[in-house]
Amino acid sequence: MQTQPAVKTKHKSVSYSKYGYIFVAPFFITFLIFQLYPIFFTFRTSLTDAVGWEKVLNNSIIGFDNFKQLFDPNSLVYGKFWGALGNTMIIWFFNFVPQLGLALILASWFTDSRLRLKAQGFFKVTIFMPNIITAATIGMLFMSFFAYPVGPVNTFIQTVGIANAPIEYFRSVEWSRGLISFIQWWMWCGNTMIIMIAGISGINPSLFEAALVDGCSSRQTFWKITLPLIKPILVYNLTTSLVGGLTMFDIPHMMTQGNPNETTNTVARFIYTQGFTGSRNFNMASAASVVLFGIIIVGSLIIRYVLNDHDPKPGKALKGGK
Amino acid sequence: MKKVLAMVLAAMMLLGCVSFASAEGEKIKLNVWSFTNELQGMIEKYYLPDHPELEIDFQIYPTDGNAYTTKVDTTFGADATSADAPDIFTLEAAFVKHYVESDFTGDLKEVGFTDEELSEAFPVMAQIGQNAAGVQKGLSWQSTPGVLMYRASLAEKYLGITSPEEFQAKVADWDAFLETAHELKDASNGKCFMVVGSGDIWNAYQYQRSQGWVVDGKLVIDDELLDFEELCKELEQDDLTEKGGAWSEIWFAGMRGADEVLCYFLPTWGLHYTLKPHCAEGADAAGLTEEDIKALSDKTGGTYGDWRLVDGPVAYSWGGTWMAINAAKIATWDDATKAAIHDLIYNFSLNEDWLVQYAQDSGDFVGSAKAVETILNNGGTPNPFLGGQDHYAIFASAAALANGSLMSEYDDTINGLWNDYVTTPYTKGEVELDEALANFKTAVAAAITTITVE
Repeated sequence: MQTQPAVKTKHKSVSYSKYGYIFVAPFFITFLIFQLYPIFFTFRTSLTDAVGWEKVLNNSIIGFDNFKQLFDPNSLVYGKFWGALGNTMIIWFFNFVPQLGLALILASWFTDSRLRLKAQGFFKVTIFMPNIITAATIGMLFMSFFAYPVGPVNTFIQTVGIANAPIEYFRSVEWSRGLISFIQWWMWCGNTMIIMIAGISGINPSLFEAALVDGCSSRQTFWKITLPLIKPILVYNLTTSLVGGLTMFDIPHMMTQGNPNETTNTVARFIYTQGFTGSRNFNMASAASVVLFGIIIVGSLIIRYVLNDHDPKPGKALKGGK
Repeated sequence: MKKVLAMVLAAMMLLGCVSFASAEGEKIKLNVWSFTNELQGMIEKYYLPDHPELEIDFQIYPTDGNAYTTKVDTTFGADATSADAPDIFTLEAAFVKHYVESDFTGDLKEVGFTDEELSEAFPVMAQIGQNAAGVQKGLSWQSTPGVLMYRASLAEKYLGITSPEEFQAKVADWDAFLETAHELKDASNGKCFMVVGSGDIWNAYQYQRSQGWVVDGKLVIDDELLDFEELCKELEQDDLTEKGGAWSEIWFAGMRGADEVLCYFLPTWGLHYTLKPHCAEGADAAGLTEEDIKALSDKTGGTYGDWRLVDGPVAYSWGGTWMAINAAKIATWDDATKAAIHDLIYNFSLNEDWLVQYAQDSGDFVGSAKAVETILNNGGTPNPFLGGQDHYAIFASAAALANGSLMSEYDDTINGLWNDYVTTPYTKGEVELDEALANFKTAVAAAITTITVE
């Protein structure tokens, strides 16, 4: 028996993993300082009596009093907080449902090998375009569009004879909420579409070919093959949209400041007004943030549960063939 | 010969003394914080050349997104005596009350201000710079009285009025104002409006109150405010305004004469920085001289020279910048530093000679009543934009009358809530007044937990 020379087995392997750590370090350091620490600080502040800047650093812990107020129907903030949550859900719903529907249709058209749409790149870019403009800019844009008493939309409807008098859009609950939903939809539809296209492109093409050979219609292909196989993408999309929707701030803040009569006040705006106006109720703002955090976690879990557990993992079984 | 020699020697000794003193005296270092470079510019241009003993470190934080107040709060909250903390810091109208009520700002008498000196300031600006106990903690270098600015040509065309005195009689109080608005609508067939929107009136009308928002820690809704609601409702419902908001496109359209709007309520800065740059299309371009603006206005049918000022229904103030001192650092200052701080603040807020000079250079309306009097005695400031009217004279009377004791540290928030929950929905006929007031009270109680709302 010959043994290999020791030198060979003891060959000094070069470990590249430390470079990996170095490369991810900036993210983690930034994350720890600017994300994780503020999150813990928020949790702590929510248990204190920190009202006003003077008390941000010199406060005392008073227990769950702030949370009690948020859940006590007789308190002042109860109606405002839960009302704001209701507004947020309504605005999010009318933004998300059409967004997902349209994004799915567009994605399936763009990926359909039978349709072979021309100028796909142009359409994709155009539909994605609103997403690269900052929300504040779009808010300002729509504010000037729908300005009262004189603005492009009001001038237009009076010129073509749809209405005799200018409409004050931002004093109408339906218009205000509708416009915010519309802007969110318009801005994020392209983004959702791109993710859906990526999801559909990831499906094994042989499945579509087999369906074609077996005589499936486009509709059948979509419902029986595409949709079940992009479920993980749907879960991702629903979850990110839920997080984005429930923390919606910029568009309502720019356009309506919660008016008329708090019907477009979102939870994030409630938190902002508690923390950064009036007597600066940082404790209440933090408590509301923590409750919102809880609601988002529960919502995400429900989405996961509903979409994942209905049938026994068809996605994995099919993907296993690859 | 002896005389000459003696004089030369004397001169040399004098020079020697001066140079000796400045060589020996250590420089006095001051930290000055502000939210614009306006004070820094003034100090560097007018003050530092004559005060070589000073070494000033300027820090400027913008007010956007509360950056300035956040910086002040966190610095003072951590350690107000640290080397980085300001010795002198400036406060603007939106938050001056908050800070003079806090322990951050010190009594100006601690650095040597006397009652006699303080009495030279316009009462309204002095009152806003005081805390509830009447301690003077801030002094403003400008005062910002507000007046009513109207277009002479429209007043003559529709109301037959040819002089500011006659017009003042038409707007002497709010009833007369409303009557004139009706008269204007009838005379112009609804083409000419009294103001752009009822929001225009607020800045003036809030000075009509007899008490501020918060008295002894309790929310107070002054009776005048209910009259304000009725006035705004009638203006809105009878189409006496254009129903536009301030700072909107339609607001500026009235200024350049594109729409016919008779009145604007604006303060001192509003004349030079808001009305004049918008008196004609393109007049807000950078680098235009007075003549350029006039020529542009003549060419495009603008409103240059058509504006006149009157006191209007109530004397009010809108804006201002106060200088305050760091209370925690007072104990660390030696006498020379205190004297330097006193001299610096005094120079920019009350020093008559300097303020007269500065007013001539900049056209700003200064904060010392004495200096304003001198300017008026020197012949005033006839203004071609106002058809030769002297704006200093009108501003001076408004500045002397406005009541600054109405302002409170919560005005910013409460004014916003009053507009959102009462004025807007009530004047548009969306809610009854009782319901609006109840909503408003709930909103105030939720926003400001440190006051009582009944």
